[in-house]
This record gives sequence, structure tokens and C-alpha cells, in this order.
Amino acid sequence: MNFLFVDSETWTITLLGWVIVLLSLFFLVGIFLLIPKIINWGVKRSLRSKGKTQITDNHLSISGETNAAIATALFLYFNQIHDEESNVITIKQVHRRYSPWNSKLYGMTNINFRR
Amino acid sequence: MKKAITIFTMLVVVLCIQMFLGTDASALQTVSAGTSGDTMSDLIKLWNFTGFANVQFSNLGMIGVGLFFIFLAIKYDYEPLLLIPIGVGILLGNVPFIEGYKIGLYEEGSVLNYLYFGVTQGIYPPLIFLGIGAMTDFSSLISNPKLMLLGAAAQIGIFATFLGASALGFTPQEAGAIGIIGGADGPTAIFLSSKLAPQLMGAIAIAAYSYMALVPVIQPPIMRLIVPKRERTIKMRPLRAVSKLEKVLFPLIGMLLTTFIAPSALPLLGMLFFGNLLKESGVTERLADTARNSMINIVTILLGLTVGASTQANVFLTADSMKIFGLGALSFMVATAGGLLFARLMNVFLKKENKINPLIGAAGVSAVPDSARVVQIEGLKADPNNHLLMHAMAPNVSGVIGSAVAAGILLSFLLDKM
Repeated sequence: MNFLFVDSETWTITLLGWVIVLLSLFFLVGIFLLIPKIINWGVKRSLRSKGKTQITDNHLSISGETNAAIATALFLYFNQIHDEESNVITIKQVHRRYSPWNSKLYGMTNINFRR
Repeated sequence: MKKAITIFTMLVVVLCIQMFLGTDASALQTVSAGTSGDTMSDLIKLWNFTGFANVQFSNLGMIGVGLFFIFLAIKYDYEPLLLIPIGVGILLGNVPFIEGYKIGLYEEGSVLNYLYFGVTQGIYPPLIFLGIGAMTDFSSLISNPKLMLLGAAAQIGIFATFLGASALGFTPQEAGAIGIIGGADGPTAIFLSSKLAPQLMGAIAIAAYSYMALVPVIQPPIMRLIVPKRERTIKMRPLRAVSKLEKVLFPLIGMLLTTFIAPSALPLLGMLFFGNLLKESGVTERLADTARNSMINIVTILLGLTVGASTQANVFLTADSMKIFGLGALSFMVATAGGLLFARLMNVFLKKENKINPLIGAAGVSAVPDSARVVQIEGLKADPNNHLLMHAMAPNVSGVIGSAVAAGILLSFLLDKM
């Protein structure tokens, strides 16, 4: 591996390529840092136009931990639902219906009986 | 042990038969001369058609590699969804046969050749990206967009390998295709190599997928080497809740911005963000469900099997392939180190309450979700109460975007020189 024989174009692609990747994602970062601010500004503006001066839905901005706790509680609740049985005993009476295929009479032979 | 000796003896016997009789079975012909010629010549023909008559040590070596992949997948659970189809593909691709009967992958008109069409023309990778988009939750990235930079920093592995491959004497196109292994993204590697260096695609794909499966082995030592224990215990701020509007806007804005920057990566990035929009829009659940389950499963089977089968010993076992494997390992290490060092650098500029755990930098190498899982495990080793998985998912998914952008940039630079 000899980097001295690598031509200048390869070095350009290497450095420029990485910088472009970095810059393009940097650009995306900028955009996505801006979007929540724009959304908040839009919400505040619409509220202001409706005559409300401040957002009263503060309880909606709950932290990730609270969300996780709620999600876990819901998961456990829905998972335990099946434990509540109907208390109906499900053993049913079995009817032995007659059929010529299981008839005892047809299975008997009279070999040992003298006629 | 007894079993191993038995198998070895059987292989030796089979090879001895082939060596003594040769592929044209001339010894048998001598014996058969003057006797019942027709029956014997039919038997000879049959023998010549069997794999035993055409087998070579290189085929057996590759079959061994295929079996090793299957062993790794079943025993150690290393990327089984990929390694089992690839392993079986290697077995299928290395069963010896006589060419000219539309059997092999490289023979025009064979069934495997038709299936391989999706790889050579770069059809499967965008479909895989559609599925990935439909199953990926970008909320961790949206809630902390700064972590996207880690995904970009780790792409240094791609460009460092590109440089290394050029220094080893590969052409710029081949070097570009080899470099993308550092993106740790199988579909992107296949897509780019199908465009730039189709002759190296088998080796590149196998190297990319093998090292992706070995992420739990490659990354931890580098993480422990670069990040001091004190920094490994940093607890990050919990992520904020992300609104549905932001989740819907993300794929739309991401698609437009990234494809405007690198239009060559349009099939990959377009499909990735389209899949994500199917998921987040909330009104196309059936389509999203198909994309992330049935469709991605079908394409994974076809892709894994045909990529594995493309490793026919006579095409695959070359000095170039060995170089590619060496460069691939190096690129993974450089990419991991790049992500970790950039994370430490970011911490210099961040306020105390916003500091990030540098371990999550290692997740920038995409390899979704394995590298994020490795970060979580390493984080728990340093502090059993520190859960980094959700934080690591942000650089992990941005690594996917970053590697696709890098592929597009390499295509733009190198495609016109072909």
C-alpha cells in the first residue's frame, strides 16, 4: 500500500466526498433543529389568533421516562387481561351416539356357540 | 472426533477416485474397452456429470466457508437472517457441475441467473431500503438531530478505504465499490458495486455482510480503546416526545434534501423515505406492513441466496478478494473509530447537561440495529443503569442515510469516468 502513488484526483474525491457527506447531514441537522421551532411558532400564532395568550396544554409535554412508565403499565395491564377468566366450567358432557361402526353388537361373533 | 475422521476419510476417498480416474474417467474407459461398451460409456457419462468428477479443492474450501456461516448464524445468532441464506447460497454456488447446461449462476438462462438479475441491476437493494424505511422509527433522530453528525462522521471509513484500495492498485471505480464496505450497509454496497465494479460484487457483498455479522466482535475493543471509562458512564438526557407532524415531515424533507444533494442515490434514499412515509402517515398501514414484513423477507431471501451463490470458487477465490476482505476489516475499524472520536469532539463544544455518551458514535456505522445493540451492551457494562439503545438508534439510522449519500457522491464522481 503506497499512498505516494495515489493520484491527486483520488485525494480530492476522498476529502471532498467526506466533507460533502458531513455538510449535507449538517444541513439536515439545521433543518430539523428549525422545524420544531417553526411548528411551535405556528401553534402559538394560531392560538393568538383565537384569543388565547398562552398554551394551557402543558401536561402534554411529558418526559420520556413518564411515557415509558405509562407504556409499561398499559402493556402489563393488557397482558394480564387474559388472567380474568369467565369462571364458567367448560367440561361438557360427552354424548356417545350410536353408530353401526362402533356398535358392540356388530363386533360380536358367535363362533363358540353351538347352534 | 470419530465423525470428523469418517467425513475426512470419505472426502479423501472421493478425491482419490477423481484423481485416479480423472474428469474424463480414462481409466474406466480402458477397462471397458472391448466389453459391454454402451453401459460402461453411459456410466462414464454419468460419472462425468456428477459433482465428484468435477470437484476441486477450492470448491470444498468455499463449501467450508458456507458451512461456517451457517454455523455462526445458528450457534451464535450472528445475523441469522442474512448468514443462513448467504451460507446456503455459497453451498449452491460451489457444487461442481459441467458448464453449458444452464445450471450455474453465471450461465445465461439458468434459474439462478434470472434471480441474480435483481442483484446485477441493483433492483433488490432499493426494495430492501423500502422495507427498512417502513420499519425504522426516526423519532430518536428527530428529537436530537445533532446526533445525525455522528452518522456522517463514521462515513470516513468509506473514504479511507477508497483511498486504501486506490493505494493497493485498484481502479477508481473498483476502489469506490470496495470503499462502501465501510458504510456497513449491505444493500448500499451491492447497489454501488453493481454500478461501479460488477466483477467484484460477490467479494464486496460477502465482505460487507460478514463484517456486519461480526460487529459484536469488531467494535467493542475499539470502543474500549478510544473511550475512557469515565466517559462511558455519561448519562444522556431523555429524548423529548416527537409530534406526528414532525414524523411525517421528516421523510418528505429528508427525501427532497438528500436526493437533491446526491441524485445518484435516488433509488436508495427515495425508497427509504418512501417506506418511512408509509409507516408514519398512519393511513397506509397495509402497505407499510407488506413492505416491512412480507416484501423485505422475500427480497432478503433472494438477495442472500444469490449473493452467496455468486461466490463460485473459480470467480471468487482471487488475490483481489483477499485484498477486499482485508480492506473491509480495516474500513469497519476506521468507521467505528471515526464515529467515536467525533462524538468525543462534539462533547468539547456541548454544555454539561447536553453531553453525549461517546459510545453512541460507534453506532454511526449503520449496521442497523446491531451496532446500536453493541453500544447498549457496552454502556450497560460501564454502568448497569445507563440505557443507551434509543440514543444510539439516532446515529445508527443517520448512518444509513449517510452511507447512501456517500454512495451517491461516489457514483457522481466515478460513474462518468467509466
